[in-house]
Amino acid sequence: MEVLVQLEHVSKTYEDKIAVNDLSLKIEAGSMFGLLGPNGAGKTSTIRMMIGITMPDSGSVTLFGKRYSSEALKRVGYLPEERGLYKRMKVIDQLVFMAELRGLGAAEATRRAKEWCERLQISDSIHKKTEELSKGMQQKIQFISTLLHDPELIIMDEPFSGLDPVNAVLLQDTLLELKRQGNAVLFSTHRMDQVEKLCDCICLIDKGHAVLSGGMREVKSRYERNHVIVQFEGADSFLNHPAIAEYKNYAGRAEIRLKPHADAQDLLRVAAATSTITKFELVEPSLEEIFIDTVGGRADA
Amino acid sequence: MLSRTMLRNTLLVAKREYLERIRSKVFRITTILVPIGVALIGFLAGVGGKRLDQGVRQLAIVSNQPQLAADVQSTLKESEHPPQSIEVFAPGTTADLNALNEAVEQHRIGGYLILSRQPGQARPQATWVSGSATDFVGRDVMKNAVTDALVREQLTSRGMTDAQIKALMKSVKLDTMQVKNGQAVASNAARSFAGAYVLILVLYGAVLIYGINIARSVVEEKTTRIFEVLLSTASSDSLMVGKLFGVGAVGLTQMAIWTAMALVYAGSSLAAALKGHGLASLGLTRPELVFFPMFFLLGFFFYSAMAAALGSAVSGEQDVQQFIFILAAPLVISVFMMMYVMTNPSSAISVIMSLIPPFTPIVLYMRICAQTPPWWQIALGIALLAASVWVMIWLAARIYRIGVLMYGKRPTLPEMLRWLRYS
Repeated sequence: MEVLVQLEHVSKTYEDKIAVNDLSLKIEAGSMFGLLGPNGAGKTSTIRMMIGITMPDSGSVTLFGKRYSSEALKRVGYLPEERGLYKRMKVIDQLVFMAELRGLGAAEATRRAKEWCERLQISDSIHKKTEELSKGMQQKIQFISTLLHDPELIIMDEPFSGLDPVNAVLLQDTLLELKRQGNAVLFSTHRMDQVEKLCDCICLIDKGHAVLSGGMREVKSRYERNHVIVQFEGADSFLNHPAIAEYKNYAGRAEIRLKPHADAQDLLRVAAATSTITKFELVEPSLEEIFIDTVGGRADA
Repeated sequence: MLSRTMLRNTLLVAKREYLERIRSKVFRITTILVPIGVALIGFLAGVGGKRLDQGVRQLAIVSNQPQLAADVQSTLKESEHPPQSIEVFAPGTTADLNALNEAVEQHRIGGYLILSRQPGQARPQATWVSGSATDFVGRDVMKNAVTDALVREQLTSRGMTDAQIKALMKSVKLDTMQVKNGQAVASNAARSFAGAYVLILVLYGAVLIYGINIARSVVEEKTTRIFEVLLSTASSDSLMVGKLFGVGAVGLTQMAIWTAMALVYAGSSLAAALKGHGLASLGLTRPELVFFPMFFLLGFFFYSAMAAALGSAVSGEQDVQQFIFILAAPLVISVFMMMYVMTNPSSAISVIMSLIPPFTPIVLYMRICAQTPPWWQIALGIALLAASVWVMIWLAARIYRIGVLMYGKRPTLPEMLRWLRYS
């Protein structure tokens, strides 16, 4: 797979604050990359260095295999965290202007803008001024303006914040579709559930450090399946089993954490002998738990 | 290749700025309201001027000598702007005076003149009574009228006829000339002033409207973070130059519309005048016609670039208000210096001031209007101004570019200087 972005040992310090510290990551074509971390962890700073808005103090950033160049940026679509649109400009004019700046001809830009507005169900608003639209609508317009020039690399800073669930799903599906077409998508978020559903690769940043990174499967497999959910009828004496480190018993449903390397199958046998088991599930840890586990409960997800 | 991209981006930005502004309500409103405002000011100034010239319209004369009263009355009636009515009370009584006081208080008359002279005396005791303490015009008119009447009285007593006296006392018309290029040519002080005034007015208005407009639009791009997206595709130089060109084109479009409106308004009479006497009939000489648009444009770009730089340095709309002062200050100072520069166009202060870029557009133009300065001073002033426009744009682009790194707080001067070195 072609590597579109590569950061190697990148560090960046603002005045007296270390924003990014010795961070390395790479994003391949056709993948969805999640940049995770609590607020102020250094996600935005990292993104800004990828597209040359700021330069790293040390380390190297390569885009499409080369050091930063303004031509390379035409192959990138960037959505900043703040919703940046000209308030008094008409939607269609705005989209065409942004696309033209990225090298598209006016006619082609207009055609694509209309197509995208159709696709994201905002065709009715195409001739309205941006300031007349709701926040969610504006976000969709900015989303479109990021994609009009058909970038190979799509970088989005908190793309789903502030959207209602229906629209969030609409945009998520669009990104998945673009990924299937071979584009690389990177987005930052502090919402674990989105990353868990969408991403192939993740990088979890805390205090400018990558604390966890790699493929989603691989990251999760590093954590044991040591959570058990049991639904039962009858006696709960099996909860005293030596494999259990701690448990919560909610009348017929027990959430159990096992001791390291404990034998879950033996627990099932004992439980089945003493009560009627309707459900016995070994749960893999959610990303959220891993997140909290790693960052130490400071996450504000 | 890169420069072609830059040119393309610059034009795209300029086009956007131009179209957005041309379509805006503000543009339509100012395009219509400003000429109406100017016409209104002109009308009011005309009316005010007339009233001043005319002085007091209704007045009365009270005197113990009927002949003296009649002489002053006829002098006033023969003056350039004769009052509508002059009542004479000779001899006047205390009751008359009381009635006149009441009339002044009720604004039925502008004032009354008391002339008392003992028989055998040459000079009368004259008192002008009016409703206003600041009625300088009325005071002067009365003073001249009484003096004239006394002179006439003396001349009559020495046997001159009325016609002779009239011919003798007619005021002299004074022509003024000015040395230009070693020759004395007809000059018109009022016209020279008018040219400079119009430039100041137009430049000041344009800077206030469009300079602040530019600063606002820069601030908008910053606060909405549009510039993050823009800067991820275009250089800050092409963004800044594009912005200035776009807004500059809007300013020129508006000027062109106003000029066209003025021409249509002036209509055929102007065309006839042009045919007969050429440009001179417009009150403009050829160099002024060249320098006016030149200094307007250079001044406009200088102040616009300055506004863009200021807009780049601040973080919010409110801060822009505080910076308007910095923009307007050099223009205000130029206005204060106007009298001095027009009367001393070649003094050291005038020369130095005309070479300092913020003052150059107005002060150098004033000097050109008053007395053609050495060509090298004109060339140097224009060169310095043009160079400083370039420096301002460069500076604005750097500050804009660096502003990406800033969130929230307003940068201090040392911080700005540090940024300049970084970019």
